Amino acid sequence: MKRIFLVILVSLCAVMVFAAPFVEDTLLTPDKNPKMGGTLYLALTGAPQSFNFYGTLDNNAYTVAGQMLTGLVEAHPVTSAIRPALAESWEVSENNKEVIFHLRDVNWSDGAPLVADDVIFTFKYFIMNPVARGNSVDRFTIESQPIEWVKIDDKTVKAILPAPYAAFFTVLSHAYIYPSHALDSKIDKSRPDSVNDVWLTNTPPSEIPANGPFILSEYIVDQKVVMTRNPNYWKVDVFGNKLPYVDRVEYLVVSDAQVRLAKFMAGELDYMAVSGADFPILKERELAGGPFKVFLAEPTQPTPSPVHIAFNFDTANPKLKELFMKTEFRQAMEYALDRERIIDEVYNGLAVLGGVPVLPSNKAFYNPKIEEIRRPFDLAKAAEILDSLGLKDVNGDGLREFPDGSKFEFVLTVQNSPQDYQDIAYIFSQDLLSIGVKVNLQILDSSLTGQMFGAGSFEAGIRAFGNQPDPQLRKAIWQPGTQLYYWHRTTRDPETNTAIFDNMLDWEKRVYDLFEKGQVAMDPAIRKTFYDEWQEIYAEYLPVIFVCKGMNLYAANKALGNVEQNAEGLLSYASWTVFKK
Amino acid sequence: MWSFIVRRLLIMIPMMFFISVICFVITELQPGDFVSQYLDNPRISPAQIELLRKNLGLDEPAYVRYWNWIKGIVTRGDFGYSFAFQRPVGELIWERMGWTIFVALGAIVFQWLLAVPMGIYSALHPYSPGDYTLTVIGFVGLSIPDFFMALILMYLMLKMGATSIGGLFSPQFVGAPFSFAKLIDLFKHLWVPLVVVGMSGLAGLMRVMRGNMLDIISSPFITSLRAHGLDEKTVKRHAIKNALNPMVSIAGTELPNVFSGTIITAIVLNLPTMGPFFYNALLNHDQYLVMSFLMFIAIITQIGNLLADIALAVLDPRIRMS
Repeated sequence: MKRIFLVILVSLCAVMVFAAPFVEDTLLTPDKNPKMGGTLYLALTGAPQSFNFYGTLDNNAYTVAGQMLTGLVEAHPVTSAIRPALAESWEVSENNKEVIFHLRDVNWSDGAPLVADDVIFTFKYFIMNPVARGNSVDRFTIESQPIEWVKIDDKTVKAILPAPYAAFFTVLSHAYIYPSHALDSKIDKSRPDSVNDVWLTNTPPSEIPANGPFILSEYIVDQKVVMTRNPNYWKVDVFGNKLPYVDRVEYLVVSDAQVRLAKFMAGELDYMAVSGADFPILKERELAGGPFKVFLAEPTQPTPSPVHIAFNFDTANPKLKELFMKTEFRQAMEYALDRERIIDEVYNGLAVLGGVPVLPSNKAFYNPKIEEIRRPFDLAKAAEILDSLGLKDVNGDGLREFPDGSKFEFVLTVQNSPQDYQDIAYIFSQDLLSIGVKVNLQILDSSLTGQMFGAGSFEAGIRAFGNQPDPQLRKAIWQPGTQLYYWHRTTRDPETNTAIFDNMLDWEKRVYDLFEKGQVAMDPAIRKTFYDEWQEIYAEYLPVIFVCKGMNLYAANKALGNVEQNAEGLLSYASWTVFKK
Repeated sequence: MWSFIVRRLLIMIPMMFFISVICFVITELQPGDFVSQYLDNPRISPAQIELLRKNLGLDEPAYVRYWNWIKGIVTRGDFGYSFAFQRPVGELIWERMGWTIFVALGAIVFQWLLAVPMGIYSALHPYSPGDYTLTVIGFVGLSIPDFFMALILMYLMLKMGATSIGGLFSPQFVGAPFSFAKLIDLFKHLWVPLVVVGMSGLAGLMRVMRGNMLDIISSPFITSLRAHGLDEKTVKRHAIKNALNPMVSIAGTELPNVFSGTIITAIVLNLPTMGPFFYNALLNHDQYLVMSFLMFIAIITQIGNLLADIALAVLDPRIRMS
């Protein structure tokens, strides 16, 4: 009898542990007296093009989907650390090639239970479907082999990796799980691109079940997206309250940045990202007693994308090509780049030096050694290097010539918006002119510059890519031989999409290897050594010259609780933990 | 009369065909296509971009795409679908039609209700202080770009402590069921676009009205009316009736403005109308959406002109259709 009782007790405990909800980190819930209810007003920069995360490439759609859906794991909103989400726990096999996920005992917002079939269904028809517009085939393919998903039972799934894959959990945090019970009948399995046609903007919200904090409840064309709290959301706060705190999130569609600012100041919006240009006026109003707080946070986000300057190693002009490939030339260019002035004048002082390109706030990967390598603004030094390269002013017109006496000048291609790009180009070109280097600015529409960079038809250019917490997610840019390594396109064979090692410089070959090693190493410490070396090589050889990174600027209405900045300068905010005071 | 209308309608068919060719050529001249905006997105591989281009039919030569589009319109009444929204173009335009017509008609009515009396007053009191004042007001409206005026008005409202800026409703009323409070809220917002859009066209209309009125007033038939001993009120009524004629033709050309005239203002004022939607489609190279919208404006322009001609014939017995 006693034994049976014990068994019952143990299994009861097990069930309780199993069904234990996710208790949110107190970093996000610092306020001890949160208030429930109310509406959180946020802004979208345009009308969402779809509500189907995998069926669109639209950022506004992603913002809305991010409130409705979650993945097996999620990135902590403040620290970016990976933590359990729809998967309550997981086990990684000895050889790092198998991961078994135990699903949380939760229901979709429509009451159907979350099951392993949902995971299998999502990967099969959406994530790994090459004709789904927002698919992630590349992110879940290792060494040309897809990751395989196997159902073990209703609440357990196994991922079989072709090789160990260090960024697996990071990419998994972007893989939202879809409801197979609601979508299975809606897609035409004989026509794979039919997955793009579900959950379009005319879909009744009741047909979109959610597993995230909010449910879509109404969309008023071009005006607002209304979301209500998901009663089946699985997070609680440390005091035992069910999350989210607010009843509704309303996204107002406001495409003009000035109007967003005006709406925020008028109290119509509760929280928004602020541009460097608008920061001073908001801060002034705040200090004058305005009903909002402005935060100047250490950059952690992909945007604003850090600007870099690239010199095309494959440019058509043979003399420029030879020069641009010389490390000394690019180092001279770095000496001629006045980052301090750019931060002061272009960004109102609201930018940091950033990394190459790992952000200093990224504890897991940042290598502080690059700060010692980074060359400070020193025009004399720049001029000296140019002299040593044989670029001298021989005809006395104040401008340098090539050793053979022909004119030395190059075109710097830059997109017309955002304005900072142009301003940086101008400051850089003026400083270069003062040491006899003629730079011709070519300012064009961004769609045009994008194509020129993509086709390699430029001499030098200014461009930016967003940062990501894990360098693996930016492999397609920074590893030689990939599609976005646009300043040295001949390292890649576009037909076969493979790297051409013969065309790589020695240090490029090393960078290539480091990315390959970083992809499969599982030990964080070992991975860091690979990416540390990559950053040092980038700082030393300067395939591109990073300028700076705009800070993360936010403004929040004072009536919004649980928006706080910690000692490290990181801002804590999540839609499910803020509340209306 | 009927043969005139039928003939005009028939002429529209080749006209629309030529316009469609021009629209297509112009959208083709824009560098890049819908997928080029994704070229620098590291999440999207080159293979995927090619696949997307193929799926959207963008890899086909231009004349094939044009032919398919025109064929769809003629045979199925299908204007194609939006690359971005993945929905039929007609549906998307229709969704935004209501507020577009509401705001633009409101602005036009506002403009005409002010411009016509102002023009009449100016003409009846030429070179008086009142005439000069009204003219100055009109020209101020004409010379300030409407989007700038919108920004100034919003700034002033913000300064005066307004709690709701831009749009047609306060956030809580957007999508709310109709109520008296909602109507009040609408009026609180609506005056800004009406004033901004209305003011910009005020001077032109007013000057036309004033000029016509001056012409008519000094014409012999007015003298003859006076000679017949008619009182001044009746004389004015006859003068105004005659002076309104050219305004009717102007009214016809106002129709396309209803849909396209206020794009920048609508973006600045955050209005849920077709203007900003069209602007985004242009930026995104959403070709069928752009072309359908342009075709729509073209047909509306022609219909507007036709309606104006018919109205003129009806109103003015001197005009005969031939």
